[in-house]
Amino acid sequence: MTSPFEVLGLPVRFGIEPAVLETRWKELSKAFHPDRHVQAAPAERRAALNRAVGVNEAYRALRDDLVRAQTILSLRGPDASHQAADPALLMEVMELREGLGERKAQGDRAGIESMAAQVRGDAETTSATLAQSLDETDDLAAAHTALCRLRYLRRFLDEVELALEP
Amino acid sequence: MSLLQIHDPRSAPRPIGIDLGTTHSIVAYVPPSGGPVAISDCDGELLVPSVVQYRAVGAPLIGTPAKRGAVDAPIDTIVSVKRFMGRGAADPETRKLGPYRFATDEGPVVKFAVAGDRVVTPIEVSAEILRELKDRAEDELGPIGGAVITVPAYFDDAQRQATKDAARLAGLTVLRLINEPTAAALAYGLERKKNGRFVVYDLGGGTFDVTLLELDDGVFHVRATGGDSQLGGDDMDRLLAEQVLTALGADRSPGRVRYALDAAREIKHALTTSERVVTKLEHDGATAPFEMDRASFDDAIRSLLDRTGAASRRVLRDASVAAADLDGVILVGGSTRVPAVRAYVAELFGQPPLTDLDPDLVVALGAAVQADVLAGQGDRPEVLLLDVLPLSLGVEAMGGVVERILPRNTAIPTEAAQVFTTYADQQTGFEIHVVQGERELAKDCRSLAHFTLRGIPPMAAGLARLEVRFRVDADGLLSVSAKERTTGIEQAIDVKPSYGLDEADIERMLLEAYEVGEADVVARTLAERRVEASRVELATNKALAEDGDLLDSNEQSSIDAALIDVAKARAGEDARRLQATIDALESATHTFAGRRMDRAMQRALGGRGVDEIATDTEHARGIERAHEPLIRSDDEP
Repeated sequence: MTSPFEVLGLPVRFGIEPAVLETRWKELSKAFHPDRHVQAAPAERRAALNRAVGVNEAYRALRDDLVRAQTILSLRGPDASHQAADPALLMEVMELREGLGERKAQGDRAGIESMAAQVRGDAETTSATLAQSLDETDDLAAAHTALCRLRYLRRFLDEVELALEP
Repeated sequence: MSLLQIHDPRSAPRPIGIDLGTTHSIVAYVPPSGGPVAISDCDGELLVPSVVQYRAVGAPLIGTPAKRGAVDAPIDTIVSVKRFMGRGAADPETRKLGPYRFATDEGPVVKFAVAGDRVVTPIEVSAEILRELKDRAEDELGPIGGAVITVPAYFDDAQRQATKDAARLAGLTVLRLINEPTAAALAYGLERKKNGRFVVYDLGGGTFDVTLLELDDGVFHVRATGGDSQLGGDDMDRLLAEQVLTALGADRSPGRVRYALDAAREIKHALTTSERVVTKLEHDGATAPFEMDRASFDDAIRSLLDRTGAASRRVLRDASVAAADLDGVILVGGSTRVPAVRAYVAELFGQPPLTDLDPDLVVALGAAVQADVLAGQGDRPEVLLLDVLPLSLGVEAMGGVVERILPRNTAIPTEAAQVFTTYADQQTGFEIHVVQGERELAKDCRSLAHFTLRGIPPMAAGLARLEVRFRVDADGLLSVSAKERTTGIEQAIDVKPSYGLDEADIERMLLEAYEVGEADVVARTLAERRVEASRVELATNKALAEDGDLLDSNEQSSIDAALIDVAKARAGEDARRLQATIDALESATHTFAGRRMDRAMQRALGGRGVDEIATDTEHARGIERAHEPLIRSDDEP
């Protein structure tokens, strides 16, 4: 099973410049896209198409930071990938949701926005922790916790966006 | 059309580009020197009206002759057939203002009942138009090679497949289906050699497409796409036609309606150059004066323009791009000549749009450029079109809910896999309903097709692991394959398109179209396979010359042997045997192809490290800030 990193010829790192990822994707698309193999023999056309699909799938996986982090975790330690969420985290998220619900009911847009700002800040810190534990300290447990937290925070922010829609 | 055309019998077939439009169609090509050129008929007309008239006796009329007869035979003259491609008989569009008689037989595919007791599908009607364009190109160029045909970026799988099927019926080899806005940008991009971000605002006769394109070092990348496949200049005509009909009285017969639509269109055109139009309506004994000024017209179409605005804003949001970030707005489609449209677009995007190229021709010109590139002819600068899935693909799950497999704006070609299991003991079949769209419930999305898996090894319920792969090719067309994981057995798949023709229908139509005996069909197949065999031999030899060092002597000999078999079979008369040798060559070169791809990858990466790329990228033209990702769908567990 080739990892998305291998497919795009990139080192296994969480921290990656979006521009670099995109350049790589375009370079490989140029090599494998079916349009570059229109005149080739069927075996080559098929091989190229499979590679092109792989390149697009790898790009899709690595472009999303949550999926990218999960991919690295799965590569580094298959056992670490399936932990149940920390009950304390679940509690926190539940309280956040309740808070959102209350402010929604009161029509308190300013309140919702300030909640969002706070959570966004939290998400940024968590993301930095995630990067550090994956790329520097190689602390898989910490990375997993951070990833889990980040997922819930992002999901909450989606709910906030919905709540703020006119 | 030149009077004296002496074609070099040895010259390679010329590739062509085709814009199969709602209102009119164009065919273009790229001459050996210079830019793309649209091909005219004997009278110098570049545009072929997308009109087909069926007659009780004789072949159907196509283009201008058909258009002339439209008023007298409104039921038998199909206008704007593109709006019906890939549509179902129960769709609201088919009941809109349009004077056709629909056959009410079994099946959801739209069928027109026309003169001569014929029943035709939109695919066959489109095939007539394509055949006309093909003839026009052949008159000018001699034998033609493949064609690049354009479709709206918003076309779903059913509509794209219908287009490809129509091309097949017309005897055209489709090199690629490309999106109309991408084609337009191709025509503009090469002439101006720009890098940057562009919006293509394409308001044609029947469809509206808005696309955000990125140009970067020869790579065109569709960042986001949107639009409305039921919105265009025809709708402006309809609004005006209502007023015309009212002015002429209560008659709403098909003939009167056809007249009203034509009159409306002329008034609309006149208002582009004049502030006010004064005319006299006259049809079938009824007459009435009629006048309209630009302001009233602008008011009347405002709601249509607002719909384009909503779709445009959504696309900018999807791509995380602000109007201020745009490097240009390209206008495509005859309807963008309307002054109100140009003013609206300028206001919508905060900059005046580009209008240098003829908005009616630009899509066909771009298609010709791409056809040239794909056929490997001429020395065009290297361009690559990277497209995205215009609509999300999903599977109908329990309770009628859609389970999304591939989100919209995913780069194509692409693939997703899902694992299903059986719900009854010894179950050997399984049906999957694939839909396209963004809604939560399957019934609110567009049904694409039902895929029936057969040949599942019998097991207890819940034990089978059916890995179903959904692959979307570079044309945006879906294909499905399935394998039962625990046994490794591949399933046979029956495809039943929801709004299209299945393989059996098409083969039957092809046989009918040729109206020749079985023997001739066989001869044609042999000829076609011989051409394919030569092509494959040529390509394989070229590959061996370039990368033969990747093979050891055993592998080389088995490929050589397979090549000899193909050459022998090509000289023979057995088409099936020839196909078998071509297939065998493909198997023999399978590993070789894989190694070539590895080498291609090394070449593409050029041995550069990530840091080098980062530096290069910073200095690259046109990219000044870090790119934002496309909108992600919520595909987490």
